Amino acid sequence: MSMPSLARAIAAAVLTVCALAPSGAGAQNFERPVRLIVPFAPGGTSDILARLISPKLSAAIGQSVVVENKPGAAGNLGADAVAKAQPDGHTLLLMDVGSLATAPSLFSDLTFDVQKDLAPISMVMFGPYVLAVHESVPAKTSKELIEYAKANPNKLTVANSGVGGANHITAVVMAKELGIQWKNVPYKGGAAASRAVVSGESGVIINGAAATMPFVTNKQLVGLAVTGEQRIASAPDLPTFKEAGLPGGDAGTWQGILTTGGTPPAMVARLNAEIRKILELPEIQQKIAEQGGVVRAQSPEEFRNWLKDATTRWGTIIREAGIKGS
Amino acid sequence: MELFDNLLMGLSTALQLNNLIFCLIGVVIGTAIGVLPGIGPIPTVALLLPFTFGLSPASAMIMLAGIFYGAQYGGSTTAILVNVPGETSSVVTCIDGHEMAKQGRAGTALAIAAIASFFAGTMATIVIAVLSVPLSVLALKFTAVEYFSLLVLGLIAAVVLAHGSVAKSLAMVLLGLLLGLVGIDVSSGVARMTFGIAALSDGLDFVPIAMGLFGLGEIIANLERPAERRVVSQSIRSLIPSWGDLRAAFPAVVRGTALGSVLGVLPGGGAALPPFSSYALEKKLARDPSRFGKGAIEGVAGPEAANNAGAQTSFIPLLTLGIPANALMALMIGALMMQGIQPGPQIMTEQPKLVWGVIASMWVGNLMLLIINLPLIGLWVSMLKIPYRLLFPAIVLFCCIGTYGIANSLFNVWLMMGCALIGYFFIKIGVEPAPLLLGLVLGPQLEENFRRAMLIADGDFTVFLSRPISAVILAVVAALLLAMLSPAILRTRKEALAE
Repeated sequence: MSMPSLARAIAAAVLTVCALAPSGAGAQNFERPVRLIVPFAPGGTSDILARLISPKLSAAIGQSVVVENKPGAAGNLGADAVAKAQPDGHTLLLMDVGSLATAPSLFSDLTFDVQKDLAPISMVMFGPYVLAVHESVPAKTSKELIEYAKANPNKLTVANSGVGGANHITAVVMAKELGIQWKNVPYKGGAAASRAVVSGESGVIINGAAATMPFVTNKQLVGLAVTGEQRIASAPDLPTFKEAGLPGGDAGTWQGILTTGGTPPAMVARLNAEIRKILELPEIQQKIAEQGGVVRAQSPEEFRNWLKDATTRWGTIIREAGIKGS
Repeated sequence: MELFDNLLMGLSTALQLNNLIFCLIGVVIGTAIGVLPGIGPIPTVALLLPFTFGLSPASAMIMLAGIFYGAQYGGSTTAILVNVPGETSSVVTCIDGHEMAKQGRAGTALAIAAIASFFAGTMATIVIAVLSVPLSVLALKFTAVEYFSLLVLGLIAAVVLAHGSVAKSLAMVLLGLLLGLVGIDVSSGVARMTFGIAALSDGLDFVPIAMGLFGLGEIIANLERPAERRVVSQSIRSLIPSWGDLRAAFPAVVRGTALGSVLGVLPGGGAALPPFSSYALEKKLARDPSRFGKGAIEGVAGPEAANNAGAQTSFIPLLTLGIPANALMALMIGALMMQGIQPGPQIMTEQPKLVWGVIASMWVGNLMLLIINLPLIGLWVSMLKIPYRLLFPAIVLFCCIGTYGIANSLFNVWLMMGCALIGYFFIKIGVEPAPLLLGLVLGPQLEENFRRAMLIADGDFTVFLSRPISAVILAVVAALLLAMLSPAILRTRKEALAE
């Protein structure tokens, strides 16, 4: 960050705090700095994406775009801040929208309505999951894993990154569809879950390929399959869930950008157009590929439908499995 | 000889002029944020991440690492001078360091802290270079079972830590454990004691509580004393520690370094365990434990060495396994990914120049820190001559900025203010807040690991005794308890505590 842009960022932060009165001018122009809220701690996938996109978006709209980390409550704190902001497109939210789809079913005291208080702009990327096991698990293929699980109910432990998270739900769906029983062991985040499986404390992991693939490449874990529509470049010999006959093949990290519900459609359309332009840039495509993901640009309508559909599907699974939030 | 070649290759990277400059920038920023209470390395590194995109990966990592271990040096400064712990690691330094400052030995305390940090930093660099691989294997041997036993040991140490009555320190540990329960339970996803407040769902943040209980509580207590009775403003004696001081501190520094190097490698144990354990160990070994809490130099030297050694060895899991040991290491992984480098176990073989360059730069950075910090001591100490009416509002302001900056949340600022009042109350009734903080930090991990161990072992309690590492740790716990309860020791403890 060069000095002038640092000064700009500070000025932007000060201006944002001053909460200028909303302007009555044309809804598609940006009157003041834009806040891009990431509801997780710095360093994660959402945060990296936000910091990739913000300078480009800033250049496109002629206003500073300030990335603000507001971690807490599985992303609900940051999402709540955006839900309650001025509905003028100057407060954006970039997060793993899987949490938005599961939040209404997990948290009875959610302080905002995902469908009403947030306006989807565009999906940004899809990051496939990899299914991997510790070498002590006697399975070299998905088929052997299923056979072993059937012969030894509740013997396998599956590490997940938190109760009700997308990878926990994927493990529940797999168990239900395949008619097997395994123990779900929650950890604090994906890094802790990966560590547990590398050390052999838990046996199985279903987690973001970007974070977990290196352990497979380095023979610390045995990779069995990946989610998504095609095999991934970093491990072309790993079959997709579909090829391996596993359910839950569309699971993974879905990152998207939203703004406050009730923002004028023209403004949403402008933001959507700018973000899609950014997602087409080769350097951004390459950086997202390095994150183990694929660019997924969508229209606001497509994104809204995806969110509705995911909320219903995962909500049913959460209720049936009796997964508790608060 | 391969090690020697590796270190030379690392030095050739670290000693390039641009990397030297970035290392210097990193340690200077680190020292500054360490000194400013509450502004920790995590938000700073997050703020500087975009700036690192334009650098080479080695320069970026060298600078970010410098910020992290540099902050450990600065953190002791405010702890000693004004009793404000900016980081988890400097809570212990408050206990005896601030006491030394009150006795007019602030210069000595700061110098010992800097020298202990430098020694530990140098040794930890060697440890990383030589023992990375075996230590990372050890870290992987630690499953939920071993963690549970280790945390029990840490909590027992907390009771040893306090000076004053055992009953009071037990009560404080329990209060800390209770506060640690607040938030969404990791194992079941149920929210506990959150009262529908979303800001509480991730639990109570450590920093506002520590700053409120220690620093601000102390400030309120100071306000009721007339200004001319200020002990701290007595003429500051020589800044250079005497031979006697160094002799007294040296064994503690060596022990602290060893303890910190091992505990730092364990993910999660990073910030709290090394200094707390070191303090407890020094107090146990001391011929006259009653000096602790009244300005014992070992009580500054040991923990300061431990936290610096631990901060540096916490890089080992990142460098050898690609696993982040704490939130800051997760940020480092983010920084690497942005550079297009896939962190992971293969990084040592694929990017030897980068890895060894960072390792070598740590020693270079520690040398810079010593050179920067020793002359600055005079300046820091003269800060204490600033009249209270200016110094106090400035401390409160910085604490507020730092607390707010952790998660951009106003809730934390109010939490800190509330804890300030509680801290004042604690001073009035004469209890130590340190055990409470240890309970708060270790409690959630203790519960999480216990339940996970039980979940994996199907509720079989014998796992804690059937696994060798865990059994040894629990045996040490039992020995400690027996020693504490045996009548002879009880008597000496009573005598020691009779004030």
